[in-house]
Amino acid sequence: MRIELDKRFLRAAALLLIAAAAFIGATFIFGSGSAAAGTVEPVPPGTSTSTLLVQNVINGLAFGVLLALASVGLSLIYGTTGLSNFAHGEQVTFGALLAFFLTTDQPVSIPLVPGTFTIGLPLWLGAILAVIIAGGTGWLQDRFLWNPLRRRRVAVLQQMIVSIGLSLALLNLLQWWMGARRVRLTASSGDRITFGNFYIGTQTLMSVVIAAIALLAVALFLLKTRRGRATRAISDNPALAAASGIRVDGIIRLVWVMAAALAGLGGILLALFDQGVGFDSGARILLLMFAAVTLGGLGQAFGALVGALVVGVVAEVSTVIIAPDMRYASALGILILVLLVRPQGILGRKERVG
Amino acid sequence: MDILINALDQMLAPATAAFAIAAIGLNFHFGLTGLLNMGQAGFMLLGMYGYAISIREGLPMWAGILVAIGVAMVFGLLLGWPTLKLRGDYLAIVTIAAAEIVRYVGRSNSLIDITGGSLGIKGNDYKDPLESLSPFPDERITIGPLTYHGSASDSWWLRVVAWTLVAALLVIFWRLSNSPWGRVLKGIREDEDAVRALGKSVYWYKMQALIIGGVIGALGGIIWAHGSAVVADSMGRPTTFWIWTILLMGGAATVFGPVLGSVLFWSALSLVRAVSKAFIPESILPSTAIEPFGLMLVGTALILIVVFRPQGILGNKRELAFHA
Repeated sequence: MRIELDKRFLRAAALLLIAAAAFIGATFIFGSGSAAAGTVEPVPPGTSTSTLLVQNVINGLAFGVLLALASVGLSLIYGTTGLSNFAHGEQVTFGALLAFFLTTDQPVSIPLVPGTFTIGLPLWLGAILAVIIAGGTGWLQDRFLWNPLRRRRVAVLQQMIVSIGLSLALLNLLQWWMGARRVRLTASSGDRITFGNFYIGTQTLMSVVIAAIALLAVALFLLKTRRGRATRAISDNPALAAASGIRVDGIIRLVWVMAAALAGLGGILLALFDQGVGFDSGARILLLMFAAVTLGGLGQAFGALVGALVVGVVAEVSTVIIAPDMRYASALGILILVLLVRPQGILGRKERVG
Repeated sequence: MDILINALDQMLAPATAAFAIAAIGLNFHFGLTGLLNMGQAGFMLLGMYGYAISIREGLPMWAGILVAIGVAMVFGLLLGWPTLKLRGDYLAIVTIAAAEIVRYVGRSNSLIDITGGSLGIKGNDYKDPLESLSPFPDERITIGPLTYHGSASDSWWLRVVAWTLVAALLVIFWRLSNSPWGRVLKGIREDEDAVRALGKSVYWYKMQALIIGGVIGALGGIIWAHGSAVVADSMGRPTTFWIWTILLMGGAATVFGPVLGSVLFWSALSLVRAVSKAFIPESILPSTAIEPFGLMLVGTALILIVVFRPQGILGNKRELAFHA
């Protein structure tokens, strides 16, 4: 592993930390008390554009951190196996819907099993269980689908289309399971912390802090542990990694479990941030995750972070200029523009990608 | 018996023809050239918008078709320009992103005067020119077990037009794929560097394939629009994935693959719906779950096809375009 590589990782991690620290710090320094949502509207109509801009940057950074958490797994999978996993969006939705399933006090059911029941765990316990089960689905997927495909030496593009099929199947399975309704993980929409002209929801703040901690844990894993180093080695050169005695299949299994668990956690936090989740929530942000991963540099674990922050901020800030229902379009537009000038992405290595 | 008649109805439906046309377009991309276009639904949607908006604004029918073709050409140029020099999965991500941009912009409320927002454009605004050309009487006609209106909306006339177009495009595909031009495309699919070494401009050939396939997709969109309506959300990512399923099921790089795939896809979907409605009790599969259940099987079918018979029903294993 070249030193230069580590520097780049560190720089990216530092960037994220500074952003997160500034964000959280600003909240507490300016935070002058919380107001119940809806009673005080901190940004009244007719506020100056710059105020609106800052508020949008705040929202964008929050969304970006959550998006980063959801897309780190996509990037790790791409890095180690070369697969663009189109079913990652469903993995995100699954985490959130599973958390709802475990925590709600409404009656729930499972496809093909007649009858309804309630589980009603507390949210924190349900969320932890959901993340663990989501990680388990990653293990199952790799054990019974992706590992056999790799063994059969199925081409990566073929695997990509398999993931598209899986995405279609899972999306409709989720719709079958939960119906087309939108569900909420918490009944309350939470308080807002206001500081000056700006505000941030306490739920959003909590989500962002949890996401930042999880991202930090991933960064430490990749940089400091033997398995993390092995993961990066496989991303760098799978054949060489295998030749130096790294158990490639074992590491890839681990990456799948991590990716699915992180996607599940990201889904739960995004559901808190969005105040709701439907069967297609993950599918809606799948392309934003791809944009984040591609922007940062395909296969660069920390690239997903940088890319996600850019995507989040661009999506939110662009609402100052264009209609809010087109904000995802602008983020995808940025993706295409960046590919024009820097196809390897922001953190990508300069190499021929053709 | 009703179940079989429904399946027959689906086989001949304009939607089936529209998807067959879109899959023929994708066959130019993927089957011949090996391009991973994941935005075929975007081409279809642009074709629909181009046609429907032109007709609504009073242009004649031929001009509407030209506008649809022109829009698809420009879209293809824009997509191909940054990505055709890059690795295949970049094209996949950019095309799918661009198709979604088209859909987001189309359904946005800010353009509601042009695109009709998420409700789309009503059939009355653009269906007249084609329907007024109909030689069939203006009444319901029954042939065998099937009854449709002669010329309005989901009509015999639309079926005749749609399937004639399918036949014409099949002939075009067959001729082009066996022409010197088509052989260059197949060469690019098999080994880009070899073709480059022969002095061909790989980039420009890929661009031509992308544009031709996209224009065919736009024509498929026009047919789809005549069968239902112009609604942005009906042309989302699942639509592109269905077209892929159709092409891979029938067999990429074959002449009849897209048509066989489309007919099988839609009739099988209709059969699954009808059979599960008739035989699975409501307590196990509620009626709201039948649609997702059918589409879940589509996804599963796509996985099984790609893993176990990647060349599809009609395909030839040696003509397989999955080289990374």
